[in-house]
Amino acid sequence: MSNIIIKSLVLNPKLLKIILLMEEKELIQKAQSGDKPSLAELVKKYEQTIFNFAFKICRDKNYAEHIMQETFYSMVKSLHQFDHNSKLSTWLYRIVANHCLMMARKAKSRSFVSFDDDDNLFEEKYAADWSSIPYKDTENTELKNILDLAIQNLSPDYRMVFLLRDVEGLSTEETAEVTELSIPAVKSRLHRARAFLRKEINEAFSR
Amino acid sequence: MKKEKITCKEVMKHVCESLGDNLNDEKCIEIRNHLDSCSQCKEYFKSVEITIECYRKYNVEVPEEAHGRLMKMLGLED
Repeated sequence: MSNIIIKSLVLNPKLLKIILLMEEKELIQKAQSGDKPSLAELVKKYEQTIFNFAFKICRDKNYAEHIMQETFYSMVKSLHQFDHNSKLSTWLYRIVANHCLMMARKAKSRSFVSFDDDDNLFEEKYAADWSSIPYKDTENTELKNILDLAIQNLSPDYRMVFLLRDVEGLSTEETAEVTELSIPAVKSRLHRARAFLRKEINEAFSR
Repeated sequence: MKKEKITCKEVMKHVCESLGDNLNDEKCIEIRNHLDSCSQCKEYFKSVEITIECYRKYNVEVPEEAHGRLMKMLGLED
């Protein structure tokens, strides 16, 4: 591709997005017709996203690997059914979400926070100094432990909505599609999850 | 009748509901005005943003062995 074309694509992100989607569509069609190198390319393209997302839901690298394997196994098995009506990434997120919810149902013993009284989420007994929270230090073990513990208190459906919408950057509509929830249900889960996680971090850093 | 002033708790709830959405309706303008003049709510808003950023920045890489096992399981090794 010439430098002029590359420069104009960088300046026009919408056009770049359309070209990338067309390239992906072609790759999927080849993989659907049995082309192994195209299938391998699709797996490589999404394995990092899927592993990372699975880890963020279950906070365990072994489980994340298991979910990643199950997800791509399902993808390979059902790719012929993919109809291009949604993005491949949205389709894959839905497979991950289903596997995670299934695993959570099997391991029912864990109890999660309940949101019967929303007002509790906004009452502050403690006040942390947020400027001292090392949020720019991505390797801070204390912070990582606090983030892991806090999110595991959320039930999987709340966790999933927060991660899809706020962390993975899906739109409210895409989040609703992946989780099979209505848009108002996504919004209500999202605001409670944000308030709860913020409160947990606040309390952890007030101690 | 005099319109009741918005409370900090309402603002906090609204911040959690609407962060990232287009804040142009009447209620949102009221919230924005409140945030400009209330340091407590401004801090709350910032702390919700930091919470999200913390989770965004906490990422893990696929271990090389896990990649190898995946490709082998799918019969797609190089």
